[in-house]
Amino acid sequence: MKKLIIIPAYNESESIVETVQDIINNAKDFDYIIINDCSTDNTKELCEQNNFNVINLPINLGIGGAVQTGYKYAKENDYDLAVQVDGDGQHDPAFLCEMSEYLITHDLDMVIGSRFIKKEGFQSSLMRRVGIKYFTWIIRLLTGEVVTDPTSGLRIINKEIINIFCKEYPRDYPEPESIVVLLKLHKKIGEVPVIMRERAGGISSISAVKSVYYMIKVSLAIFIEAIRK
Amino acid sequence: MDIKLQIIIAVIIFLVLIFIINMIRKGQLVLKYALTWILVGVGILILDLFPNLISGIASLMGVGQPINILFFFGFCFALLLIFVLTVTVSKMSIQIKDLAQQIALNNQSNEKTKNS
Repeated sequence: MKKLIIIPAYNESESIVETVQDIINNAKDFDYIIINDCSTDNTKELCEQNNFNVINLPINLGIGGAVQTGYKYAKENDYDLAVQVDGDGQHDPAFLCEMSEYLITHDLDMVIGSRFIKKEGFQSSLMRRVGIKYFTWIIRLLTGEVVTDPTSGLRIINKEIINIFCKEYPRDYPEPESIVVLLKLHKKIGEVPVIMRERAGGISSISAVKSVYYMIKVSLAIFIEAIRK
Repeated sequence: MDIKLQIIIAVIIFLVLIFIINMIRKGQLVLKYALTWILVGVGILILDLFPNLISGIASLMGVGQPINILFFFGFCFALLLIFVLTVTVSKMSIQIKDLAQQIALNNQSNEKTKNS
């Protein structure tokens, strides 16, 4: 079974080398691909110096466009499973084996690494947690399913979902929205408890100013997905 | 309306139409998107040549001042045009995204075959 780790990276020069080394050492049955989203720092040079497997986007597409590039790569190279691991070192690759086994044994379409099942490790700020709780609530309201960590980027998907995401994947803040897409298609989503770390470097793509836009945009997107036939 | 003003407006419209058509000829403007502007020019020309049309429409719709009808139509048209542009931009941004992804994927596989 071919498994791929997709590492979206935008200006992650502080942490990308460590992240990839960690993946090479701790997720041995996975291949990896870095999607360099037209970084303005030396992320590209670092990847080339270390001979990392990298795709360089010619223009900045945002997180959704970058991850979708990874899914298209997975499709072209006939991977069975694909998982997103952020380039900032928040996600621990040690959980990947467990997540892929959980997906296979429970015959699921997507498995999300959730911070909030065991409530261990970095729990994010209070404001973020309130936002995440709100998304959990709105997703349950619209689909009836409970997803404890709908904003988690650490998600593993099977071949069928790779094909779906190749055709259509939200541009920015894709996580909660794409969960609703899959639930509406009656795909099976499971969650596995994981421990996340505080980011090793770089800044979050969601600043204080952007968070208002984030809440409105994602709410609207979820709502539109929910009423789509 | 004064006949002098009518002539001036007609001349301006003609110049603008010539300018637009020349841009299409030189390939600086895509005919598909210039079509709306040509239609607007022709529309204004018709209203300019037959000013009674505006008064007629105004009394038909119960608008006191004929000039208000003109403003109203102008505003509606501007909104419509902006909306059409937004639709076009959305479509183009998806196309550009797909192109960028395909280019990046092709570059990567080219590099790989070159190295192996």
